[in-house]
Amino acid sequence: MEEKLFRKLREDEKNDEFNAIESRTFLQSVWKDFVGNKRAIVGSIVLIIIVLLAIFGPMFCKYTYDEQNMSLRNASPSMDHWFGTDKMGRDIFVRVLFGARISLLVGFVAALINLIIGTIYGGIAGYVGGKIDMIMMRIVDIIYSVPSMLYIVLIMLIFGASVTSIMIGISITCWIDMARIVRQEVKSLKEQEFTMAAFVLGASGPRILIKHLLINTMGPIIVTITLMVPQAIFTEAWLSFLGVGISAPLASWGTLAQDARELIQVYPMQTVYPMIAICITIFSFNFIGEGLEKALDPKKKR
Amino acid sequence: MSLLEINHLTTEFKTAQGVVKAVRGIHYRVNKGEVLGIVGESGSGKSVGMLSLMGLLASNGTVTSGEILFDGEDISPVNYTTKKEKKEYQKKMQKIRGNDISMIFQDPMSYLNPIVTIGKQMTEGILYHTKCSKKEAETRAVELMKMVGIPAPESRLKQYPFEFSGGMRQRIIIAIALACNPKLIIADEPTTALDVTVQAQILDLLRNITKESDAGVIIITHDLGVVASLCDRISIMYGGDIMEEGTVNEIFYEAKHPYTKGLLNSIANSQVDHREPLKPIPGTPPDLIKLKDECPFAARCSEAMEICTKYNPLTTKFSDTHSCKCWMHCKDRYKEVVKGDEAHE
Amino acid sequence: MSSLVKPLVEVHNLVKNFPANHGQFVHAVNNVSFTLEKGETLGIVGESGCGKSSMGRTILKIHEPTSGKIIFDGDDITNYSRHQMLPYRKRMQMIFQDPYASLNPRFTVGEIIEEPMIIHKMGTEKERKIIVQNLIETVGLKPDHIRRYPHEFSGGQRQRIGIARTLALRPEFIVCDEPISALDVSIQAQIINLLEKLQKERGFSYLFIAHDLEMVHHISHKIGVMYLGNMVEYGFSDDVYKHPLHPYTKALISAAPIADPILSREKQRIILEGEVPSPLNPPKGCPFAGRCKYVTKQCKKEMPKHYEYDGRKVACNIYAPENLEKYSQVGKTPEQAVFE
Repeated sequence: MEEKLFRKLREDEKNDEFNAIESRTFLQSVWKDFVGNKRAIVGSIVLIIIVLLAIFGPMFCKYTYDEQNMSLRNASPSMDHWFGTDKMGRDIFVRVLFGARISLLVGFVAALINLIIGTIYGGIAGYVGGKIDMIMMRIVDIIYSVPSMLYIVLIMLIFGASVTSIMIGISITCWIDMARIVRQEVKSLKEQEFTMAAFVLGASGPRILIKHLLINTMGPIIVTITLMVPQAIFTEAWLSFLGVGISAPLASWGTLAQDARELIQVYPMQTVYPMIAICITIFSFNFIGEGLEKALDPKKKR
Repeated sequence: MSLLEINHLTTEFKTAQGVVKAVRGIHYRVNKGEVLGIVGESGSGKSVGMLSLMGLLASNGTVTSGEILFDGEDISPVNYTTKKEKKEYQKKMQKIRGNDISMIFQDPMSYLNPIVTIGKQMTEGILYHTKCSKKEAETRAVELMKMVGIPAPESRLKQYPFEFSGGMRQRIIIAIALACNPKLIIADEPTTALDVTVQAQILDLLRNITKESDAGVIIITHDLGVVASLCDRISIMYGGDIMEEGTVNEIFYEAKHPYTKGLLNSIANSQVDHREPLKPIPGTPPDLIKLKDECPFAARCSEAMEICTKYNPLTTKFSDTHSCKCWMHCKDRYKEVVKGDEAHE
Repeated sequence: MSSLVKPLVEVHNLVKNFPANHGQFVHAVNNVSFTLEKGETLGIVGESGCGKSSMGRTILKIHEPTSGKIIFDGDDITNYSRHQMLPYRKRMQMIFQDPYASLNPRFTVGEIIEEPMIIHKMGTEKERKIIVQNLIETVGLKPDHIRRYPHEFSGGQRQRIGIARTLALRPEFIVCDEPISALDVSIQAQIINLLEKLQKERGFSYLFIAHDLEMVHHISHKIGVMYLGNMVEYGFSDDVYKHPLHPYTKALISAAPIADPILSREKQRIILEGEVPSPLNPPKGCPFAGRCKYVTKQCKKEMPKHYEYDGRKVACNIYAPENLEKYSQVGKTPEQAVFE
């Protein structure tokens, strides 16, 4: 017995098995944190439902978004018309679903442009630094110093009121925040030793920028994008509400609210539907953004 | 009676991965006028032990058991359980901290408030703990600055921390720590952030201070060179437990524990032939979450035996001051720990 | 040191200034020269801000040198462009100080070690994977670590990963920028032994930058002592360590704490007054003049030259030929004449 207890251990018997913290890849750990966040999950599910409804909803409805029925104007909600009809006798439910298409399209396109231009511009400014950075950032300042509404109105004047011109208008300024954030991140990552290591290994500029700097900026980029989408949706709704957006019979949530405004005292519910849709969408994006921000936080314990 | 006596102190942290037992039942004793060195690597629990004593643990940390006798009074937080009692404990510790026990931290820049003048920061503690006028406090501050070797102290009272160099800032920290004539000074890596020549200045200062005052001093460090020149007694910590303790000479010349020996072998010593290869301790420090009731060093120990991976060793005394925790030295007493089937097998 | 062998690295009068605010310059490296043979280690010691890291980085052309010459294996690379440097990158490498910051957190260990081979288009993917496997074992990690991420490893293990990445290119010259100062004591020796083993097996030359004098003495054949951007003393490791000439070297070596209580008590310490001047505005004369006990008028006037004495180079007026003559007239060595 004693012999057994006091037997000297061989090298391979020693329990020096690598003291790993629970092994998870970066994405796995972000996923786990994200899934653990109830609000983020609710937001994601709601958003997925909204997107699915926007894409497939109108196909399964009895009516189309521009089908008028003059005999049934301003009808109250019923089994036929879930949200009732508007002053032209169009089904409001279909129009809200259809409006979601345009609103979401504007949001996602703005986010995509934001991602591409903002990341590249900010990445280059931050990585190259020096005079080029200075010039690039002054250009940004100039673009930023003109109110974005002005660009949009100007573009509307030139290209006419359409979804495309709204998207161009929003895209002109929306990438600036992203560029600034990316530049700041890249600038601080550039001083880190792993960037220097890549340089000494002989990595080219683009390789360092993409593989070492931007990949580590992923967190802030994703968060900025999720917050960008509702902002663009909001801008579009706001423009349409002012009457400079797209025109009938096309519908976005903003135009729906605008159309209903005239009758707000008689049929207030017609304004409420698109507004609820905007609210829910923006809420879910904000929840997702908040969840991602927490999950991607580089300062959280590793 | 010892100035400070800590028995069976256990501190745990709750983390996302599980409960970390950062300190597992340690004992310390410090007498008046004595310098105790606590040596350990990162994660050995050397700082956590002191933070537990001061009541400065992070919010996810708790002292789960233990007795802390300071100047005869038990100041262990274990006795304070309800919310009201916990508040009472914090209040009591606030009076003790900076007055009876003071701390010197590793990084002087983060300890000093960058937008408050040095004079204000120095007098703050004095005014809080003693009943004296602002004028008196300032006189005391100047006196202290002279003591720690800051030239022209009167003119420097109105300066801000950034106007001081690293070594000067560390002197200020030491002066603040000395302000209320503490009975116990705890220095956590006091020279790690400093350059060699400045480190020598600060060590010289600490040596003089410990000689002159009869306060007890605890120095926490990973640097064996620092303890060799400064301390009377040394505790070697590993994986949250004390592996060996003894006087400086006992630790450096009669080390019993394989970890202590390994540590001494792994540093380059120019007094011996410097071309001889170093003898490092293999492996990596233990993961405190996975560590059960075994010897924390077993996985890296060259002498490890089967029993080491199952049971925590008993403390063996070699002299009044020298003791160590290793199965090599307490083989004959294994029946105290190994019970049941295994013992009768 | 036989003069027949061509040195691997030669640095002549290297100067590096960084622009600072208000048109001022940080004088990080000032007129530094040394040579490094194949298979040799040059240790660089000095306190923080003495320019030792900047020097290492300038030699690897991370920073462009202000003036001076860097010659690698006979080629003057001082003014080579990033593109021209590419083939040299395989041969000159670096090991970094902070094992937590020097590995890209989004790469797996395998990707980190493979990256240099991808950059230099070495081998097929299959061959590279095999090399990665071999390297992982060479540096003492386990094969199944390849798919893990750096944050799962301890400091010492990360430093091993960094070393494996360097080895992937089969370099000849490696700048080790404080490779052990962020590690625990028991782990430092592991890394030092690994570096020494690799040097023996592969004939590496190291420029070993550190502030731990004992470790530098242990690993180096030659030592250069830097103070405020200047190399104040440069010679064989044992000579510099056991019989330092420059007053600063003397103070530095005496100030280092020894892990031995009796020796530590007996040791005569030279405690320097004051602190290092700012590299933004270095003194006109000898940079050490303000803290030196043996300072003369001459020291404050101009920077001392690098005098040859006792097989070393030392930048101190005590060893100027005219002063040495004065000592010898009274039959004394400088040691007796000045320091006693």
